Amino acid sequence: MFWKKKKNDGVDQRAKEAYFTASQGQLIWSRFKGNRTAMIALYALVLMVLMGLFAPFLSPYDPTIAGRDTTYENGAPQIPKFWDENGFSVRPFIYATERERSAKTNFRWVVTEKRDERLYLHLFVRGWNYTIFTLNWDLPGTAFDVDFALIRSNLHLFGVDGGMIHLFGTDASGKDIFGRTLSAIWTSLAVGTLGVLISFVLALIIGGVAGYFGGWIDSILQMITDAIRTVPAIPLFMALAAFMPDSWSSETRFFFISIILGLIGWPTLARRIRTHLLTERTQEYVLAAELCGASSSHVIRRHLLPSFTSYIIVDLMISFPYMVRSETALSFIGLGLKDPVNSLGALMQNVSKADVLLNYQWYFIPVIFFIALVLAFVFVGDGLRDAADPYSGTKK
Amino acid sequence: MSQFIQFAMTRAFLALITLLTVSLIVFTLMELVPGTCAERYLAFKNTQGSQITIADIKAEERRLGLDRPFVERWVKWVGNVFIHGEFGDSCILRLNINQLLADKFWISLGICMAALILSYAIAVPIGIISASSNNAFVNNSLRFVSYLGLALPNFLLALIIMLFSTVFFGDSLTGLFSKEYRDAAWSMAKFGDFLSHAWLPVFILGWSATAFALQTVRALMLDEIGKLYVTAASARGVSGARLLWRYPAKHSLGPVINSLGFDLNRIFNELPIVALILTLTEAGALLFESLARSNDQQLAGAIIFLLTASIVALNFFTDILLALIDPRVRRGMMG
Repeated sequence: MFWKKKKNDGVDQRAKEAYFTASQGQLIWSRFKGNRTAMIALYALVLMVLMGLFAPFLSPYDPTIAGRDTTYENGAPQIPKFWDENGFSVRPFIYATERERSAKTNFRWVVTEKRDERLYLHLFVRGWNYTIFTLNWDLPGTAFDVDFALIRSNLHLFGVDGGMIHLFGTDASGKDIFGRTLSAIWTSLAVGTLGVLISFVLALIIGGVAGYFGGWIDSILQMITDAIRTVPAIPLFMALAAFMPDSWSSETRFFFISIILGLIGWPTLARRIRTHLLTERTQEYVLAAELCGASSSHVIRRHLLPSFTSYIIVDLMISFPYMVRSETALSFIGLGLKDPVNSLGALMQNVSKADVLLNYQWYFIPVIFFIALVLAFVFVGDGLRDAADPYSGTKK
Repeated sequence: MSQFIQFAMTRAFLALITLLTVSLIVFTLMELVPGTCAERYLAFKNTQGSQITIADIKAEERRLGLDRPFVERWVKWVGNVFIHGEFGDSCILRLNINQLLADKFWISLGICMAALILSYAIAVPIGIISASSNNAFVNNSLRFVSYLGLALPNFLLALIIMLFSTVFFGDSLTGLFSKEYRDAAWSMAKFGDFLSHAWLPVFILGWSATAFALQTVRALMLDEIGKLYVTAASARGVSGARLLWRYPAKHSLGPVINSLGFDLNRIFNELPIVALILTLTEAGALLFESLARSNDQQLAGAIIFLLTASIVALNFFTDILLALIDPRVRRGMMG
């Protein structure tokens, strides 16, 4: 362990002092930093979150139908090159493409690369307008409408002059898969976050009440929790999602899906909170607070909850990939978010067609991001769990 | 002995309560799905050319008892299910649900159970080995593989396997039966044919289940292996596989048995999606069909209820089994 390295030393004394006076958060962080796998996962996770956040800046074209490339449908990924048979170029380039349909091509659209015509890559080009950190609520009553955006711009990281570049290729309607993947990461994260938050609040209230009061309230709440835990979640999701009318806009669907995920995800966490509270509430410090006349909500908020905040954070981190996975599964079967919205599940839905499997393998690129995202979450969650467990170090 | 019977009775009673709560949840869900039986029947009449009015729908609702209060209809539904084992008719397919489901539900349950067994057959030995070995490479690669089970979605695995088999063997491996057996009565030959198709869904469902099971077994083993009784046993000269099996493994498998019900739950979760991709003709696919395509609330409700009932039943049996084999649990549960 890091504080035991040198035993009888002046520096050691200070390190020891720092250790004993460190807050719970500092301790967890210092243990977490020692875990290399978890740190790599954390970097990957932060990178992906940033990519999702700055998706409009990073992607040269609008990921919706407005940004489609009509001349390059189902197009293969275009990888920038520095040289070819016509010589070397400092500025990376791609080739211009040409679409042809005639008797020669059997009357189908065939896209050919023109190897003698280069499109050069430029940094910081102007393109479609976008906003980042947008808050746009259209609540009933004009007074409550919020329309706020931190960044409004049309600056993009890269682009080519006189043509379009598609790093990950395009889909059947010519939408840029690179842009769609980035914005899908953000959507899936947002759905997951909302779902986790809702289930967290529910778990806190239900588990808190059950654990603090105990007795018959606990028994009844436990029965309900167990019943919900036994019903398989995805069929339940499907039943709730079937309730969603087709006429709903994509934003409404988005919120509804998050709410469903939250409504079903709470029982596991609620159970854990309850068990913890049941053991904690008989401790002396709770009795002391009660004798001082503290109300029960005060005891729960100020004394009981802080005693296991770190475990709650870890639990939330661990439940995150399940949320994202559920969203993907729902969208995959067509009950979740649908095509105009870019979520990882909606993108994966495209993969399932035989045509895609055999001819357009670049549709699989979003899947790689999904796997990386889930793995990053799981490893970070694992690292956090190890770090938050005060006994983890003493075992090995 | 009488104490044990009392314990079993209490558990059975609790399971029944859980089932009732579940039936309430399922029934509420069925109510949420848009459309009612009355509208469906009359919509069908409409296609036959006869004019229908709001009054007709109201009359039909009264005939079907749909105008009764929610609780009364729930009690009637639950009563039919529990006493007669009867789920009524599907308003869309106009078929008796029991007849429609019969075989299909058992096939689904069989596939899921097989996946569950497969996952533990792999996870228990590997989990024990990984917990007891100090080889960082073995442990890390096992961790990675088991997380991949979580990260690589089932449907993707199914798709990839289908793609490979189509390209290399010219057979897409989908479905549950060959053509000639599809409508045949059950026989040894049909069963053999079924097995030759069912291994793929079993494998795919078992894939992510194995990942979870491996995690659980390993974590539980790690908890037990550090305890003093294991040190004491090895000090007495017990070692190797004998030490692992007789001491920590025995203890750590208790919670595993206890969580079997939730593992089955997790497998059921994946079933509709895998069934959809492999075009299986069983309850999972029917469930998907009834929820996503046709809004057939009677059928969907029946399937969800049956799935949950089998989980509750499994939970009940594992509780009893645990009490039988583990004296600590017996004492704890029976006071």
